[in-house]
Amino acid sequence: MTTMKGTIRFRDLETGIWLLEAEDGKLYVLAGGDRKLKKNGARISVEGDVDAESPNLAMAGPRFVVKSYTFL
Amino acid sequence: MRTPRLAIAVGAVTLMMLAGCDRKAEEATVSLDRPAIDVSAQADDVAYHLPEVVVVDFEDGTTKEQFDALEKDWGIDLELADEEEGVDSAITVGTFQGDVATLLGTIRQNAKVENAEPLMRFSASFVPNDPAYEKQWNLKMINMPKAWDRVKGKGVVVAVLDTGVAYEDHDDFRQVPDLRGTKFVEGYDFVNKDRHANDDHGHGTHVAGTIAQATNNGEGVAGVAFEAAIMPVKVLDHFGGGTSADIADAIRWAADHGANVINMSLGGGGRSAVMEKAVEYARKKGVVVVCAAGNGGRGIVEYPAAYPGSVAVAAVGPAGSRAPYSSWGKELDIAAPGGDKSQGEEAGIIQNTIDPQDVSHAVYASYQGTSMATPHVAGLAALLFSAGAKNPDQVEKALFASAHPPKGATGWTDQYGHGVIDAEAALQALKKMGAASELNELLPTEVQVAKQEPEVTTSDVTAFSYGAMDWKPFAFGAAMLAFVLLTLGKKERPGYLNVFASPGFLIPLVLTTMGVFFVRWVAPANELTTSFVIPIPDWLNKIIFGRGSLANPLVYSALAPIVLSLLAIKLKGMRHAVGGLAIGFAGILAYTAWAKAPALAWLPFTFLAIPWLVVNAIICLFLARAMLKRETA
Repeated sequence: MTTMKGTIRFRDLETGIWLLEAEDGKLYVLAGGDRKLKKNGARISVEGDVDAESPNLAMAGPRFVVKSYTFL
Repeated sequence: MRTPRLAIAVGAVTLMMLAGCDRKAEEATVSLDRPAIDVSAQADDVAYHLPEVVVVDFEDGTTKEQFDALEKDWGIDLELADEEEGVDSAITVGTFQGDVATLLGTIRQNAKVENAEPLMRFSASFVPNDPAYEKQWNLKMINMPKAWDRVKGKGVVVAVLDTGVAYEDHDDFRQVPDLRGTKFVEGYDFVNKDRHANDDHGHGTHVAGTIAQATNNGEGVAGVAFEAAIMPVKVLDHFGGGTSADIADAIRWAADHGANVINMSLGGGGRSAVMEKAVEYARKKGVVVVCAAGNGGRGIVEYPAAYPGSVAVAAVGPAGSRAPYSSWGKELDIAAPGGDKSQGEEAGIIQNTIDPQDVSHAVYASYQGTSMATPHVAGLAALLFSAGAKNPDQVEKALFASAHPPKGATGWTDQYGHGVIDAEAALQALKKMGAASELNELLPTEVQVAKQEPEVTTSDVTAFSYGAMDWKPFAFGAAMLAFVLLTLGKKERPGYLNVFASPGFLIPLVLTTMGVFFVRWVAPANELTTSFVIPIPDWLNKIIFGRGSLANPLVYSALAPIVLSLLAIKLKGMRHAVGGLAIGFAGILAYTAWAKAPALAWLPFTFLAIPWLVVNAIICLFLARAMLKRETA
């Protein structure tokens, strides 16, 4: 389990992808969580796991599988 | 006495070799890796002009008698193009065998001729009637209308490994209207483990649409290979994520169930040996695997695109330059339109798909991504198969050779691979290759080029072949020895049987043709013993170039006997041994030419393999003859 702070980013790529721009500048493809997470530009603190193994259609970096989150 | 015997011996060996060649020609059957493909679509190939037919327009009122008199000098039989109108217009056509340009030059010099030119055939390019086709800049960019004149993808199956496809009415899933009329073959849902690979996301349906959207149906938009069949395979869940295990399974499943092309608009994650093997498996089965390079906008090509067996696709926008999101890198193969919506919504790729909020509701969506670029290449691969390509090598060669590199570049770049695809040019490239590949197919399968299986040489002794004794190279060697002994005069001959009594001669002969053959009778097969039972040239090739490498033409030549015979000029004691080696080489080279000529490395043309072996066998014979000759002085 990892906790990260960052900003939610929407990218109009493919069918629309949601990214977490972490404070260290790295990009993660968001997975898990719920639809309320999808707020473009919102600052957020998320808890979950980095998944660098699973292929997906976003193809924009490792996934971050969200277990819980709080908006900052 | 000597001359007839020489003639008989030469004749016998020549006949034997010729018989070998004939046998090859009979055996050379055309092997299709995927015979299921219907190539009847080749019939709609349009000949743009027929260069051997010429049109000559004489002065109006020129009669048949007049031009019949003129044509005698030209060597062509001209007839009126149209009996009705032709009497007045005097437009004639005729067929000519030979240099048409010179003929036309001669004809034009005659005062009665108004014009003379090759016959042109006109045909309008195929323009589909789909109402939103005008918005599909991407299809025009890759020259689809001209390509559709030739072929539309009939008989080819493209597997779409994605979020599923809205291909049927099932549960609350509805087929999208612009896939009505598209052909589907049975697919599989690897996420939910059932036969209904429906789309619960919208991505896979869009991708499938680019490949084979129902076209010329008065509805929506067009697809690249709209007569090809789609195999819907669901490997990504409703969030668009999947696992390498499911995807690897799906790749093998699609290859086993008749797919000719696999489209994977997905990527990410680490290198998976399981998935890499699956891609390799599919390619060996003759499947072209096409994958998206990735949307990271960075110099890393994602897996599975980066695996050696797959074609990695980058995305370009309407201007033909790499889209900002498109990944690039050293594994990149090619580029295709994937949209660039930073230039507006219309700069995306439009296809019919489902509304992500409601799977039963269809929409026309404009998306951008390397996922959108990939199906353009998969569709073109389907067209190439439909046009007669026989294996992934041919498809990829045609794709890469015809792609347009960016301005200023001439070949491969890490941003565009070989360049942006061009459907018409790819079909033409395939056609040009066709002549070469037909020639290739006349050769025995062992010497053909462009086989996707790794070449296996005779140096690859497996546990299976270990126990089998192969006397034939030795038998050929014995025949060569008989030839040498027969062609030597009585005084020069060392005696018909004496040579066999000399171990210095017999041992190199046996080693060169059979190796230490008896090892297999006393020891089980293992790494060491298998290398003892192979003939010397195979053994040399194995230790110099590695196991399983292509037979090297220098090893399979007279080189080794030549070098040793140079030493034997001084060291006379070596002569019988070198003679035995040379006879052995002559035997195995002749046998290789006769039986299964290996694909030789480095040779520019595969048809040179057999002549190479035959010529070197003859050189070995002459060396052996010189070595065995008894000093008469």
